[in-house]
Amino acid sequence: MLLAGGQGSRLGVLTSQVAKPAVSFGGKYRIIDFVLSNCANSGISSVGVLTQYRPYLLHEYLGSGEAWNLDERGGGVAILPPYATQTGGAWYAGTADAITQNIGYLEMQDPEYVLILSGDQLYRMDYEDMLATHKANNADLTVAVMPVEWEEASRFGIMNTREDGSIEEFEEKPAEPKSNLASMGIYIFNADLLIDTLKRDAEDPNSTHDFGGDIIPKLLAEGKRLYTYEFKSYWRDVGTVASFHEANMELLGTEPAFDLYAQEAPIMSNASTRPPAFIGPRGSVDDSLVNNGCTILGDVAHSVISADVYVGKNAVVKDSILFPGARVEEGAVVVNAIMAERSVVKAGARFGSADAETVTLGDDAVVSKGDE
Amino acid sequence: MPKAIGLITCNYTTTSKDDVFSGRPAASMPYLGRYRMVDFALSNMVNAGIRSVGMIMPYNYRSLIDHVGSGKEWNLDRKNGGLFIMPGSTLGVSRTGARFLIRDLVQNSEYLTKNHGKYVVLSSANFVATIDLKDLIKKHEESGANITVLTQKAKKSNVDVVKFNIEDGIVRSMSTGVKLGDDAFLDYAIIDRDLLIELIDIFSPNDHLDLFEALNPEFSRIRVHAVEFDGYVAPIFDKDTYYESNIDLLTQEVLEELAPEGAKIMTKAHDTPPAKYEPGAKVSHSLIASGDRIFGTVQGSVLGRNVTIEAGASVRDSVIMQGVVIGAGAQVENAIIDKNNVVPAGTELRGTDEHILYMRKN
Repeated sequence: MLLAGGQGSRLGVLTSQVAKPAVSFGGKYRIIDFVLSNCANSGISSVGVLTQYRPYLLHEYLGSGEAWNLDERGGGVAILPPYATQTGGAWYAGTADAITQNIGYLEMQDPEYVLILSGDQLYRMDYEDMLATHKANNADLTVAVMPVEWEEASRFGIMNTREDGSIEEFEEKPAEPKSNLASMGIYIFNADLLIDTLKRDAEDPNSTHDFGGDIIPKLLAEGKRLYTYEFKSYWRDVGTVASFHEANMELLGTEPAFDLYAQEAPIMSNASTRPPAFIGPRGSVDDSLVNNGCTILGDVAHSVISADVYVGKNAVVKDSILFPGARVEEGAVVVNAIMAERSVVKAGARFGSADAETVTLGDDAVVSKGDE
Repeated sequence: MPKAIGLITCNYTTTSKDDVFSGRPAASMPYLGRYRMVDFALSNMVNAGIRSVGMIMPYNYRSLIDHVGSGKEWNLDRKNGGLFIMPGSTLGVSRTGARFLIRDLVQNSEYLTKNHGKYVVLSSANFVATIDLKDLIKKHEESGANITVLTQKAKKSNVDVVKFNIEDGIVRSMSTGVKLGDDAFLDYAIIDRDLLIELIDIFSPNDHLDLFEALNPEFSRIRVHAVEFDGYVAPIFDKDTYYESNIDLLTQEVLEELAPEGAKIMTKAHDTPPAKYEPGAKVSHSLIASGDRIFGTVQGSVLGRNVTIEAGASVRDSVIMQGVVIGAGAQVENAIIDKNNVVPAGTELRGTDEHILYMRKN
């Protein structure tokens, strides 16, 4: 069950038109590709995607799930937006509530285990291995955790564990953390227990219907077997413009923090087929990612360039992220910026500066000379 | 229902004795970094609304089947119609130069009788161009001709291309081989389906002939209307035409003619990451496909998918096909490096403008 309904409001104009999981990333991908690819690479063949905020682009992009080999009979990708019944309908009011409203889907699929995922995180994980740990521990619930810097720990939901990895206590954003193991919001439940707990939680008037805030404490109090699964590789929750910019930049360099080129677990995407990028006679590209369909007549350095981007003659793009179809016209300068889909910086205009915070330009927005 | 069905022939060899095309069907030849030559014929048909396309296969069909699969990438995986993979005559029975071999058409006449559509759009796979076939079908209807063929004045000699003698827009005779300025047949034709069925029946005793060869004595009775194509087209039949047609695309105007913004040249999709330019890479005047990793220098070249140019290596005026690794410090100039080759570090491979060096498929 993949939670993909969030807005990601701290990403500002980047999510004013699309849900955060649908935001462009890494020159070719949308954020949700990472989790969907993990599912496919882990041998999971049924994925329910819970959508809510501005879902059109996300729905279109997911399609039948074919791009991630998830178009299977009796399974595959099921898009699960809020719906109405005889007694009315309601928006998803929390992570747990979203699943509760789709217990029908779970009962139809009738799995033994349910994996709960967030559609807005970047990492490569073999869920099969997490499930093996869950089974080996004979656990009721397994929570994926990762060690964070101690000074950062008070920003996260922290799991205090015993030696064997079982969970003793859960603290949401503790002022004085006793552990640095942060919950990644990735859970494996025994399906029967999940359904039973969600039904009880739904009737609890004091619950906020959140996995971290309500479900985990409830199960701990009931003495259920809760275990952690420790994950030590690359993981990013790109919540802010700064962290989004940084995560893109981490793909660059000769030894990138995240290797898109790892063959054994490819990140798949629903990409269009465009011709190779054209680098013009006076164009140059250094330390960057450039996808197909681009026309680069100017200079690009230390940037991530998505499909069908146009960089005109004598234009400069530096330390920036350009989403599909963005245009930087002749002589324009774009520095330390994020340009969303089809946005335009007109001829001769300047956008962004190395000395200031990263600036963002929304989908279809235009900056002209003089606007700066 | 679509007006036309498509038929692409892939079962023939070219006259050229050079290695580039020997032993592999032209249809599955890599082109423009990430495509196969047949993508253009397939995409032109699908973009004209055609949803039934038959492909006559060469004997060595592995690479082609691997590429087209169920036809999904071209929206040809359909309950009705879709992609039809059809057998061609076996090697030795097919003929050099006969791109519309009557035997292959007779053998697969069921495709023509069972699929409905007033017209059949014929194409081979050797001509790379983006063509508005809807417009060609319209012109065919307006002219009232029995057959409409697409032509262009030849820009240079080519022994494999069919020449038409045209008077007042009507084809009077044909022969094989064109010289500069001749009316060259681009291997795209529109023909009434009923007429095609009738013709292959009549011509079946001479099934070793090409359809247009067989038509040669009949041009006074069967009206063949010629329409001149004014866009970019590359007839690709040998090493030199293959090289030139790739390098041509480094001229932005030519590239935009072949792959205009918004045009859909469909091909098999791969999960390759964007091309990665490492710190210090020098790339100019080139076409760079996804999955490439560039540490060295690339100039005036076309790179296929998943190519690695190691540090200090330099590639100039060359066509590098998918999966090639150019080792550290290697120098490659005026060359075609075929798929999956590893050019060892420090090697120098230099052709000249006149003699393009070719490193065969590994």
